[in-house]
Amino acid sequence: MKILLLEDDEATRMHLERVLTAAGHVVDSCTSGKDAIFLATGGDYAVLILDRMVAGVDGLGALKALRAMEVRTPAVFLTAMNGVEDRVEGLEAGADDYLAKPFAASELLARINALARRPPIAGTKTVLRAGDLELDRIRRTVARGGVRIDIQAQELKLLEYLMLHAGEVVTRAMLLENVWSFHFDPKTNVIESHMSRLRAKVDRGFGRELIQTVRGAGYRIDGD
Amino acid sequence: MVTEQRTSGPMRSAAFRFALLLAAVFAIGAAALLVIVQHQIGRYAAEATNGGLKAESAVLAGEYAQLGRQGLIDAMVRHAGVSRDAQYRYLLLGGDGAHLFGDLPRTVARNGWSSVDVTEPAREPGGPTRETFTTLGKPLPGGLTLIVGTDNYDVQRMRARLSRFTLLSGLGIALFALLGGYLTGRLFLRRLDRVNRAVDRIVEGDRAERLPTIGFGPEFDELSHNLNRMLDRNAAAMEALRQVSTDIAHDLRTPLSRLHQRLEQMQDSPVVEPAMIDDALAQTAGILSTFQALLRIGSLEGGVGRKRFTGVDLSELMDRIHQAYAPVAEDAGQSYLADHAQGVVVEGDGELLAQLFTNLVENAIVHTPAGSTITSRLFVAGGVPVAELCDTGPGIPPGERANVFRRFYRLDASRNTEGSGLGLALVAAIAALHGAECSILDREAGLAVRIAFPANGQVPQTKGHS
Repeated sequence: MKILLLEDDEATRMHLERVLTAAGHVVDSCTSGKDAIFLATGGDYAVLILDRMVAGVDGLGALKALRAMEVRTPAVFLTAMNGVEDRVEGLEAGADDYLAKPFAASELLARINALARRPPIAGTKTVLRAGDLELDRIRRTVARGGVRIDIQAQELKLLEYLMLHAGEVVTRAMLLENVWSFHFDPKTNVIESHMSRLRAKVDRGFGRELIQTVRGAGYRIDGD
Repeated sequence: MVTEQRTSGPMRSAAFRFALLLAAVFAIGAAALLVIVQHQIGRYAAEATNGGLKAESAVLAGEYAQLGRQGLIDAMVRHAGVSRDAQYRYLLLGGDGAHLFGDLPRTVARNGWSSVDVTEPAREPGGPTRETFTTLGKPLPGGLTLIVGTDNYDVQRMRARLSRFTLLSGLGIALFALLGGYLTGRLFLRRLDRVNRAVDRIVEGDRAERLPTIGFGPEFDELSHNLNRMLDRNAAAMEALRQVSTDIAHDLRTPLSRLHQRLEQMQDSPVVEPAMIDDALAQTAGILSTFQALLRIGSLEGGVGRKRFTGVDLSELMDRIHQAYAPVAEDAGQSYLADHAQGVVVEGDGELLAQLFTNLVENAIVHTPAGSTITSRLFVAGGVPVAELCDTGPGIPPGERANVFRRFYRLDASRNTEGSGLGLALVAAIAALHGAECSILDREAGLAVRIAFPANGQVPQTKGHS
């Protein structure tokens, strides 16, 4: 997909361009907030990646300007500023996600995929499907191959998030943020513990494992 | 270092300017008073004059009625001769307009009230020479017309004296205010000069120097006291910063040199194993998370974040953490129990509070052996929301308890386990931001940490937990 990158640090910009291009994306980059506003209003981008701190009009100012001009392209902030307030400020300015430097390339790729493929009207599907796995979002039930699976509320939320992003890599940080509202790095294997329980219920004893571990990145549920 | 010249004499001091303003107010006040008094006196004098004229003409009319025309003239002569400076002057005209007696000009010869300006030689040095006569004309039987007049010399003299007096006293008051302002200003400057010299010494690096009391009144002493408190706070903050810098230099040198060694090792080996790269990356991640925690503690101690406080449902938050970590504890062979009162709400930042309890829970999971029990409790005691996290692990020796909330503090026993030694320091910083008291409870076995939130920070428990 076509991505706009605002980053004024040359080394970081080159690195991100390489990473994004290697993942099959087309990248336009710029180094100032003004250029970012100009490009984003003209070009047809799937995602904007904005560094918060650049000289002159910064990422925050650029995004506020773009949102004021009704540009609704999903945007993710990259920033070395990582206080709770900075993140809230970024989201209030109209960002859809927020990633603190330094970050793993896989984390950024997973997040822009999630942003770009976000369903236009989120939450309209009441039943999620991946292969023969079914999740009823209203009745909060899970079944595989027509057999009802007894599942805990936390595990269901975890599975729901994975299935909403079926076919995409979902990172541990994304799961922590979206399932438990934790915005920090845990020192213990929280996600692994829950994931092993979920797998035991959803995948064990069935022919095919739907939940896959993506090494160094996260998890993916695949029905195809 | 050049000392900045901030003051240039009492004339520019605030006290002097204030006195100048006061002097102006006094002068305007004196002028206004003068105008009002003049007006009042003028009215009073006019009334007195008119009354006198009416009485005099009534007396003369009586003389005429009794003694006839000659009797009237005699009376007028008699009245005029009482003193050299007679009070009344007259004009008596016959029925045909003939002048019979008196020295008032004929222009006032009419019935009723009238007035005429007369220029006369001054009756005393400096007195007015131009006078206004007020006259009253009265027809008498037999076609005669009697006019009685009087001057307003006394009134004018009084007015002149009053003006002089008001002017002089107004000037006196203004001068007095200016002099007072000058003296007060000089006194102020001398006191403030001592304060400024103390500030200069502080600026030049004397961190122990404090401001002297200014004097004059409690409000000024309070000011210097408050400034000194600010200096104390800043000195403490600088000390903390210095401590952090030392800590960073000390505690990050080890992981950085390990990373350096690992990279050198990779440089030397013909084939770089993916595991070696993973290991190096994990080390950088560890160093960065230590930095992250330090920055967060630093900004929390600076008081950042309090403006975003809202009512946080502590019951829901602690339940959520319990649900997230129960499987982790189970995997480590521990049991994690929760006993949370519902609907407990505190003023705070939900994310930071989540981090606080997560740190406590993870600390317990990491530092206790399999088979331990971790208990999370939330209750309200005497209006105070209290959260406790207890474990049955090795605990902390009583002598070391005071140190565990310090940065980079690690028990010798846990030197070789994971962790930066910042977890509990972050807990303490978040608790302090929320005005909560953070303490290690005295238990025979295991570690028990208690967080007591301020009672007044509690929002009324209307928000029930589902």
